[in-house]
Amino acid sequence: MIPDRLSLARRLRRVFWPVSVEREIADELSAHLELQTRRFIAAGMSEADARAAARMRFGDVDRVRDECRDIRTQMETDMRRAELVEDLRLDARFAIRTLRRAPLFTTVAVITIALGVGANTAIFSVLEAVLLRPLPYRFADRVEMIWNGNTESAARTAVAVPEYLDLKAQLRAHDAVAAIYPQPSPLVGDGGEPERVNAYVVTPNLFDLLGAAPMIGRGFVNDDGTMGAPRVIILSHELWTRRFGADRSAIGRIVTVAGLPRTIIGVMPAGVRFPDAPLDFLREHADLWIPSTLEGSRGGSRGNQFIAVVARRAAGSTEARGAADVDGVAEQWRHAYADRYAIQAAKHWKLVALPMREQMVGGARAGLFVITAAVSLVLLIACVNVANLLLARGAARQREIAIRVALGAGRVRLVRQLVTEAVLLAAAGGALGLGLAWLGMRLLLRLDAGALPRMGEAGIDASVLVFTGAVSIITGLLVGAVPAIQQSSRDLRHALDEGTRGGGGPAKRRLRSTLVAAQVGMALIVLIASALLGRSFLALERVNPGFSSSAVLTLQFNLPHAKYDSAYKTIAFYDELTRQARALPGVVEVSGGYPVPMSGDGWSGSIRVDGEPDGPNDPMPHAEYGVALPGFFHALRVPLVTGRDFAATDTPDAPQVVIVDVILAREHWPNESAIGKRVNGATVIGVVGHVHKAGPQSEGEPQIYLPYAQSAQNTLSMVMRARGEPLSLAAPVRVLVHRIDPQMPISRLRTLDDLVAQATARQRLDAVLLGVFALTALALASVGLYGVMGYLVSQRSREIGIRIALGGHPAAIRTMVLREGLWISGAGLVGGLVVSLLASRALGGLLFGVSPTDPITYVAISATLVLVSVAASYGPARRATRVDPLIAMRD
Amino acid sequence: VLLQGTLDLLILKTLSWGPRHGYAIARWIEETTDDTLRIEEGSLYPALYRMERRGWIDAAWGKSEIGQRIKIYSLTPKGRAQLRAESAEWASFTSAVAKVLKST
Repeated sequence: MIPDRLSLARRLRRVFWPVSVEREIADELSAHLELQTRRFIAAGMSEADARAAARMRFGDVDRVRDECRDIRTQMETDMRRAELVEDLRLDARFAIRTLRRAPLFTTVAVITIALGVGANTAIFSVLEAVLLRPLPYRFADRVEMIWNGNTESAARTAVAVPEYLDLKAQLRAHDAVAAIYPQPSPLVGDGGEPERVNAYVVTPNLFDLLGAAPMIGRGFVNDDGTMGAPRVIILSHELWTRRFGADRSAIGRIVTVAGLPRTIIGVMPAGVRFPDAPLDFLREHADLWIPSTLEGSRGGSRGNQFIAVVARRAAGSTEARGAADVDGVAEQWRHAYADRYAIQAAKHWKLVALPMREQMVGGARAGLFVITAAVSLVLLIACVNVANLLLARGAARQREIAIRVALGAGRVRLVRQLVTEAVLLAAAGGALGLGLAWLGMRLLLRLDAGALPRMGEAGIDASVLVFTGAVSIITGLLVGAVPAIQQSSRDLRHALDEGTRGGGGPAKRRLRSTLVAAQVGMALIVLIASALLGRSFLALERVNPGFSSSAVLTLQFNLPHAKYDSAYKTIAFYDELTRQARALPGVVEVSGGYPVPMSGDGWSGSIRVDGEPDGPNDPMPHAEYGVALPGFFHALRVPLVTGRDFAATDTPDAPQVVIVDVILAREHWPNESAIGKRVNGATVIGVVGHVHKAGPQSEGEPQIYLPYAQSAQNTLSMVMRARGEPLSLAAPVRVLVHRIDPQMPISRLRTLDDLVAQATARQRLDAVLLGVFALTALALASVGLYGVMGYLVSQRSREIGIRIALGGHPAAIRTMVLREGLWISGAGLVGGLVVSLLASRALGGLLFGVSPTDPITYVAISATLVLVSVAASYGPARRATRVDPLIAMRD
Repeated sequence: VLLQGTLDLLILKTLSWGPRHGYAIARWIEETTDDTLRIEEGSLYPALYRMERRGWIDAAWGKSEIGQRIKIYSLTPKGRAQLRAESAEWASFTSAVAKVLKST
């Protein structure tokens, strides 16, 4: 009756405790009652009395039984859970030991997974920052931008003040309407070097509309921005930190902005920099906001369109209702201002409401989609490699596993062990991948932080960590499942008999070949996408933009109105500046103009050509405008086709002159010289080449240039052609500018090469990323192919040995192996080509000058992959010819 | 009426002299306390199951004096530690109560 006191009893309990809980309790309680009854009988009671007394003494048997059962059930649950945890711990410990015993395998597998997971993490963090992360405004989803649009095209233009005031009064499904326009202005007057900031003039209700409140100080109220109210500003967190050292006492301080003293009343929280990403002509993040109700411009012209309108749909109002609302207003205008909106020229005019978020980041979506698809394929390719590695190892571990099965390990247990190993590998790979992603992100941001809106905010945050964790675990399960299922379903009875070489039936060979074929196919897809984007980018680079950007420095001035209040003063400033700059060492040519091509600045409008009908119902021709100082075209190497350049003699008082580009000249005077013709009341004196102003991908409109002296404005860019490195002129020109006007802020000091590169930054980002992923995919796929070919050769070494023994020619054997490799990759190539052709439409919008089904690309990439597969199979093929028949057959 | 913790303490103490089955535990408590505590014997079993769940005692099938299959309980090391802790607690509790009662 010695009880079993071994404490592992708890774990072994189920094995040695074959009785059900019900039986156990019933037996125990009845034994108790029986013993008690016997005692009472021994004391002299009748059996019936004794039984009753025993029950009485015991209490409610049913209640006790139920209570015991409940406790026992809970205990079993506890035990099962503890057992599972313990099993997992054992599995993990065993897996770590096994992996440590195969350091080469472990290293290769971990690095492969790290590449795949790292690339995906990096791209996800960009995706998260650009597309997924919500904007810092409570009502962002209900905010729309309203533009003057066109029924025929996606073109949209700004809104005039009277139009804004009408929208504010007439919109019904929107509960708030605000306006914003850029105020290019310096921030000076609080000591230190004058600095150009991005200031926006906004209606006081803007932040309430968006759903953002200042972090310190107060927001704008309706009185702010009315005529005669105290002048106030709100700072962005960035400017407050940078310029005012995050000092709370900055509130109430007076600084001079745009020539006028203004009081700082509030600071917005970090991250609020509306516009947060380019919204048409609102290109820069805001540094500060100036309130204005715009009431003062109530009587302004409807043609003076310079503001962006922000409107918020009423809660519960759908996008469709918002659009109908805007259409309704447009209809009212057609009746109220028929001479403007109902004429022939306005035939295609309409008001458009576009979701703000879509406009800020929607353009980045297509490119990111393709990149995400590519990077997912890279991860899949990496998974295949690791799965193949595990399969190969599984073959080598056949005996170990057979022994474990013989010792009683169940199939489920075995699968779990193998999957645990894979998940551990993936976890290690994921951790390393996170590091790689961090490095990759830093590299990416250094290269091209401005390529995508909000990309600068990308980083490793909580959601990225969750993503990486999830991807790693899924990778582990995916990679582990294949070999685990295969392993455990094999007929293990034979495993022990088999030779040390380890098994590998035809099913297993087929599985591995299929995996590698899929890998080749996926690599082909990524390579083709990358090649198409690469060719598209090269085509962009090859576009002749109509000017030469090399060795040119540009810088922009916004002369403060307070000081430069007449055309005479601005002309004098630029005259003096260009004259003195020409004398700087290293300077070849100096001139000025606006806008500088590809700077992001734009200016377009209607033109009136003498001799062409210009009634109210006639369409007005449209053109891109520019102003230029003498020498601007030559400095940028824009060819002067006929006539002359502007000259110092084209003064404000001299006859009005203009220069047009070849396209405008051809459109309006196809068969005669443009010189002497009249446009906008001025005489054409020259014809220059066409310039791509917005970027290489867009041809742009016909162009017309006015001499700066006859069309003076406060904003102008200087262009300086240098003898050597243009940036070396930056310091001397700064000194020079401040000698002429110590208070003069300089902005956008950039080389023209930079501006041109910036214009194609997104295309470059797409091409570079896809290129990197394509090379990774190619490398991984060829490693995979090489590994599997080696495996296949080793599997067939007995057969090959016999062939050699029978006099098989080495060349024939080599060909045989190569042919097998080509079969596998060929199958993958065909599959990949089909998928590529089907999926190529997704690339359509991203490509320039190359078709998504460009045959040359498809053929060249396929040929490359064939060559790579031959190369990958060649090593194993050569090894096959060196098989020693004696050894091979003895095995 | 018997406090839950008190019953646990009595069971632990009983088992500290060696393994025994539920009925024997009930007998032992009855005899050593001269039946003053008068526990309802049924309430012993939930207490035993609960203590088994907590790992204070272990159970194994054995044979009773008349040859029935019956569960034999024994103290685990964890149960022994629990007994020490609870006895100390009980001692300080009773001495505190005694002090209060004497103080009149």
